[in-house]
Amino acid sequence: MSWSGEIRSAGTSRARRFGRQTNFDKLGRMPWGLVALIVGLAVFGTAMLYSSTATNPASADLPAKHFTRFLISFVLMIGLALTPITYWKRAAFPAYGGALLLLIAVEFFGVSGGGAERWLELGPVRLQPSEFMKLALVMAVAHYYQITLRDNSGGFLIHIPAVLMVLAPAALILRQPDLGTALTVVAAGLVIIYFAGLFWRLILLALVGGVVGAPFAYFYVLKDYQRARVETLWNPSADPLGAGYQSEQAKIAIGSGGWDGKGFTQGTQSQLDFIPEQHTDFIFTVMAEEFGFLGSASMLLVWATVIVWGFLIAMRCNSNFGRFAAVGAVATIAFYVAFNVGMVAGLLPVVGIPMPLISYGGTAMLTVMAAFGLILSVHLHRDVKAP
Amino acid sequence: MAKMRDLDLEFSRRTMLAASAGGIVWTTLLARLFQLQVLEGDRYASLAAENRVKLELAPPRRGRILDRFGTPLGAHRRAGRVTLIGEQVEDVPATLRRIAELIDLPAERQERIVRDAVRQASFVPVIVAEELTYEDFARMTVHAVSLPGVQVEMASTRSYPRGRDFAHVLGYVARASERDLGRLTEGANPSETELIRRLFKHPDMRTGRLGIEYLAEEWLRGTVGRRRVVTNAAGRIIEELPSDDLAPQEGRDVSITIDAYLQRAAIERFGDESGAAVVIDIESGDILALVSTPTYDPNDFVNGISTADYNALRENDRSPLFHKAYDGLYPPGSTFKMVVAAAALATGAVSPERRVHCPGHYWFAGRKWHCWKRGGHGSVDMHNGIKGSCDAYFYEIARLTGVEEIAKMARQFGFGHRWDIGVTGGKAGVVPNDAWKREALGEQWYEGETLNFGIGQGYLNASPLQLALMTARIATEGRDIRPNLIGVGPRPPEADIAAANLDPEIMQRMKAGMFGVTSEPGGTARSSGDLGLGGPRLAGKTGTAQVRRITTEERNSGVRKGASLDRKLRDHALFVAYAPADDPKYAISVIVEHGEGGSRAAAPVARDILAYALRTDSRRTPSYAQTASRTDAPASTRGTP
Repeated sequence: MSWSGEIRSAGTSRARRFGRQTNFDKLGRMPWGLVALIVGLAVFGTAMLYSSTATNPASADLPAKHFTRFLISFVLMIGLALTPITYWKRAAFPAYGGALLLLIAVEFFGVSGGGAERWLELGPVRLQPSEFMKLALVMAVAHYYQITLRDNSGGFLIHIPAVLMVLAPAALILRQPDLGTALTVVAAGLVIIYFAGLFWRLILLALVGGVVGAPFAYFYVLKDYQRARVETLWNPSADPLGAGYQSEQAKIAIGSGGWDGKGFTQGTQSQLDFIPEQHTDFIFTVMAEEFGFLGSASMLLVWATVIVWGFLIAMRCNSNFGRFAAVGAVATIAFYVAFNVGMVAGLLPVVGIPMPLISYGGTAMLTVMAAFGLILSVHLHRDVKAP
Repeated sequence: MAKMRDLDLEFSRRTMLAASAGGIVWTTLLARLFQLQVLEGDRYASLAAENRVKLELAPPRRGRILDRFGTPLGAHRRAGRVTLIGEQVEDVPATLRRIAELIDLPAERQERIVRDAVRQASFVPVIVAEELTYEDFARMTVHAVSLPGVQVEMASTRSYPRGRDFAHVLGYVARASERDLGRLTEGANPSETELIRRLFKHPDMRTGRLGIEYLAEEWLRGTVGRRRVVTNAAGRIIEELPSDDLAPQEGRDVSITIDAYLQRAAIERFGDESGAAVVIDIESGDILALVSTPTYDPNDFVNGISTADYNALRENDRSPLFHKAYDGLYPPGSTFKMVVAAAALATGAVSPERRVHCPGHYWFAGRKWHCWKRGGHGSVDMHNGIKGSCDAYFYEIARLTGVEEIAKMARQFGFGHRWDIGVTGGKAGVVPNDAWKREALGEQWYEGETLNFGIGQGYLNASPLQLALMTARIATEGRDIRPNLIGVGPRPPEADIAAANLDPEIMQRMKAGMFGVTSEPGGTARSSGDLGLGGPRLAGKTGTAQVRRITTEERNSGVRKGASLDRKLRDHALFVAYAPADDPKYAISVIVEHGEGGSRAAAPVARDILAYALRTDSRRTPSYAQTASRTDAPASTRGTP
């Protein structure tokens, strides 16, 4: 019997021990502090959207839409949180397989939008399978380790299928091309593999390989426009009106916010629409301009709290599946935030990654809230014996 | 078990490491923000302050107006334009004099530009010249470099390729005046108001003033966009930045049911006469032609019409500005007789066989009421009464039917109601009865007035559109046809009146009477019955609308006709018809102002327009319906056995 199946908490009730707690019990044990932080971030995001669209009556309905989407996703999150962890586990492989098939379908029947083929059109519904894949991959890899680590045969070979599970969808997403999503998928997957105990030597090897392989990837894998974005990162002033325009204006917006910002809806850069995509990927610039360093640092701290909270939930979980799934979900969210801030602050190339809960966009909202649902479910079912 | 504990330990160890990695990333991000916002904040603040990137409003392109088959009626034309920005020009009069050396710019125009430049905010461009010829545009472009503050650009303006043909239907656009702005910003919040005001100050923007342009304003306008431009210190645009994400959204097109070629043919057929014609597809109610002559050129209004030209239009005694087909009200005269006959039959006041003797006049209340035919029609029944348009017959049956019943029947045919077809204006006309007269004139109804009512004269009046609608309802033997002009676009609300309830059998009698008019011995319009298409005939009814009362002395000395009478005092000629007589497709009403006799002046016009419509099949499926049916409409089964 592995440690993952043991019941460690001494004070658990019979009901909890046997996973037969009622939904009412579960609601009582919900980490409401974490939920409050999530709600707070979404409310703040709606306010930022209001500010970023205030001068443009054509998009006046975006804040309300954003909040409505949040409310719907919130109900979904609570529902997912109450879903027994065994269901998650059972759904893991089918979800992964389905998402993989959809990704292959995009390859053949995908709809183009903005120069990339990311969508499948099914009647009125537009599906973006790469978004499904984020969570499906986390669940599937977690399930995989739940099976393989159970008998503790923990050799080097058990990690190879996991790596392949990560790389297959990543390659498909990269072909669309959607560098941002491919990166988050790979990163979240690798985090789980890392926690599952991949040998240090291999990790070192991968790091070295990454450093060596980066120039190769830069010249042979990246598309021209992606290369241009990387170039502007090192030298944004070279072409301030072309590829570097967005980055340059974003930096001016953030920098001009100063210590305490220009005040809500008072950002000159934001209010004058200097920055393309400022209500989606670049919304952090609006916040940084209007609330200054105090505001942007507070936002990073709030996110840090959410992420640490998530990791604590993962650590306290008693099943491998729950633990790894939560780690993967938290890592996904953490990467979103880090990539997004790094991108708008000019530390990383512009790769189209939204700020969770703040940026306008339906699919990302759904993915992030589902990830939170998974984390909360792991918390509520942490004592469930070997799911 | 020991090994398992190791794994657990390993997990904790790795968590610690991951936490440190996360800590490093977060610290890096915070440090970067600190660098940008605190250490370099002042530098970026000044960069933001002198940001040379400006956002200009990009006006949306107004939607087009298309005819039934996609022919553009309201479109765009690109033309060169010269503007001047007051604050960038040192000496405005001197600059204008230099421009006048390059292109034609009269002195009084120069004075007006100087006045405009002073009155407007100094950063708003003032228009110096528009609609430049290619040569002028090239010359100005070359010289603009040496004229600071002067911009030469291509502009998109509204144009009406079919000019006069659609003036009354489309209306026109013009620069928004203060009054227009007040209307356009009604109900908008302050920030929207500001945006709309700024948008309509743009030299490309126009607003609808009349007709469809006015009523479909929001549909046609589109959504304003912006463009990012880099300006130099003087404010001149030196570069455009990518602005696709802010691009304006074009307005939507409006399609109307009119066939532009039929409309053209109808206007040409009127020649110099003033009048109106309405052609309706009797199956769908689609208006295929809506003609009012003479007309004017709406293109003249787009850039502002001169006062002299406008006054000439206003003072023209054939009133080109007046939409006679929709706003004009005329006594229908004898074209109304089918309504009276239908009322008489529906109420059972008379039978179709009942005969009235017409010696050329009719005695009532001790007064002699004249029939138009001085020698009289002899003994007439209903069929002959309609065919020969015998006034004596209709005096008799109107008196027997009574004013209230005739008025009720008139409403069944669509009289007395303002049919909203999505064009400004439109008149309901008057269907008189006792209550109406008490209300309008404070007097009771006299039976003698019923006699006048019976021959379509007196207080009764109607628009040509209503007359065409009446004819369509007769031709379809009583179907509830409703006129329709907008194919795709903001549809007017469905008319809030009860469906027509007409007896098909009675309608067949009316049709037989109308066929008699054009095709039987004794018909008043026999010469116009043949459409000249080798077979199909039309069925119709003549009418004359009295412009003035005929005095007894005049009648005694012989009614004066034609040239001996001032044009303004001559009667209007009317004709309503449908064709083909045996399988009706089109209904028409024609009025020729001061044309005197319906059969002589109006019937040939109606015949030729109907012949054109039949020959070219004007009512065939419109192009907008074809594209729509491909996507959503199920295959129509209506009308197929």
